[in-house]
Amino acid sequence: MDDEGRRTIARLAGDTLPRLIERLTKSELGELEVRENGWRIRLRRPFLNGEPAEAADVRSGRDRARAAGAGATGQPHADRPAIASRAGHPQRAEAARGLVTSPGVGFFVARDGVGVGFKVSSGDLLGHVDVLGVRQEIVAPVEGVVAAVDVEAGQAIEYGQPVARVEANVQ
Amino acid sequence: MFSKVLIANRGEIALRILRACRRLGITSVVAYSEADRESRAVQLADEAICVGPPESRRSYLNAPSLLSAALLSGCEAIHPGYGFLSEDDTFAEMTRAHGLAFIGPPPEVLERFASKAGTRTLLAKHGLPTIPGSGLLRDDAQALSEAERIGYPVLIKPSAGGGGKGMRMVRSPRELQQAMTVCRSEALAAFGDDSLYLEKWLEENRHVEVQVIVDRFGNGVHIGERDCSVQRRHQKIVEEAPSPALDQGRREELADNAIRAVVAAGYENLGTLEFLLDRDGNHYFIEINCRIQVEHPVTEMLSGLDLVVEQMRIAAGEPLGYGQQDVVLRGHAIEFRINAEDTEHDFRPQAGVVENYLPPGGPGVRMDSHLYSGYEVPPYYDSLLGKLIVWGPDRTAAIARSRVALDELIVDGIVTNIPLHRALLSHSTFLDGEFTTNLLDRVGSGAFLAASRAA
Repeated sequence: MDDEGRRTIARLAGDTLPRLIERLTKSELGELEVRENGWRIRLRRPFLNGEPAEAADVRSGRDRARAAGAGATGQPHADRPAIASRAGHPQRAEAARGLVTSPGVGFFVARDGVGVGFKVSSGDLLGHVDVLGVRQEIVAPVEGVVAAVDVEAGQAIEYGQPVARVEANVQ
Repeated sequence: MFSKVLIANRGEIALRILRACRRLGITSVVAYSEADRESRAVQLADEAICVGPPESRRSYLNAPSLLSAALLSGCEAIHPGYGFLSEDDTFAEMTRAHGLAFIGPPPEVLERFASKAGTRTLLAKHGLPTIPGSGLLRDDAQALSEAERIGYPVLIKPSAGGGGKGMRMVRSPRELQQAMTVCRSEALAAFGDDSLYLEKWLEENRHVEVQVIVDRFGNGVHIGERDCSVQRRHQKIVEEAPSPALDQGRREELADNAIRAVVAAGYENLGTLEFLLDRDGNHYFIEINCRIQVEHPVTEMLSGLDLVVEQMRIAAGEPLGYGQQDVVLRGHAIEFRINAEDTEHDFRPQAGVVENYLPPGGPGVRMDSHLYSGYEVPPYYDSLLGKLIVWGPDRTAAIARSRVALDELIVDGIVTNIPLHRALLSHSTFLDGEFTTNLLDRVGSGAFLAASRAA
């Protein structure tokens, strides 16, 4: 890596990265990318695919294959986005395994007919959480069969609380 | 008094409110985001409810979620702490509409004091001197003509919010035009409101604020002033009381003016009136903060009052129960904000695991912090890790105790601004009580750090 490259990466890691993290945290964007001098920083939210993704991706466009092996480690502050991924959304990963969690704080409203053994497609309505009279939908994260319902109709539930579990169909 | 209160905040202030609840025998319910599941307040709470994901917009700023949490846990009141929804009149109104008490000023009082420009006009009518400034600016053309009338340098300020966001000092029409766009977008991003106004910039000023308490029957007292002149980019770093810049006559005049004006203007609950002090000791009202403030412990050390308890009593409708002559201020107190930021690298905020935390002790030493060894500082919120507050019978004694306390304080695993505090305590400008609000920005914190290393 030449001096110019080192300077660029120091600036990207030292100045640009913290600002990008702040912006990504405040926004609803899933991904942000900045390019400079053939280098790029890409920040991805760690929970988009239900798997903790590589949170920071700093590498050279000229030298991508080699940099990919080294990853982002060794760069100053490369650990900071990783912190974000540790404190991220555990329930998104759980959703991939069929765990249904509450999207809000309120009272659980069951959907008629939904119970153990109920067949669902991904996105099917399982019930609602009533937040001050406004109903937020609780939907099946995967296609499959309802294996458990953990809460009763009318029960107070908090954000992220497990509500049900859907056993995914074996593909 | 309430029997159950929802704490709609995080960090050290959630813990502070929880302690006040304990003292009053109130059951506490802590509302927390997913990023704060392992927080000290959640561990100590009687009950805790997760109200949303880490992003504050969807948790600590999510009014329906917080109200729903309060209702389903059977709370009678909500304490909003500082920041987040603490001065949001709509949230206060929603709280009341759901039959709950808002621990702070009632919604109509928050609304009356919501606009900084409007508040200056209102309190000027009740006798407070104000800095020459403009009303809310319609456009850049009006900004230019108003700046011309006031005289450069001027400070561009957002009408909503505080903390230095959307604020710029400009010295020429060209700088003004350049800064307006930036200030508008910063204000919009931080407060959802891009209205700006101008204020004459006083060079070499000090920031002094007066703590007031007013009950709903119009009984009010001031609890003296705090000097918050040690700032970096309009963010307070060190606060102390009494102000080294005021003699007894000026001090009483300032505090008497402040309490008389807010009572006359119909203020209620705990509040802070911020003033700028010019080189000649004249004070100019700038804004009012309708909430408990980060630096409130400084006043508690001098007065012996528990300001969070006072706030709750007044929100519950109790009369103040004492008068100005009963408020006795003793000694000198200094507060150091311990922030997770790298002072050597432009105060870059830090996140990570606090491997080891040991607070200092001894007479007059108080540490308000939510840290514990092994606690992970999440990257989503402000960088305040806690506050070290030190009391002494006089300023010299308070400074001596502060040195001992700062040397004892251990926060390992994360970079903090403790070295800057140590440096300030060995610098003659601070020791002589001559700090002005622009000093750190003008000379740079590096100069203080370097001076202390050389010493």
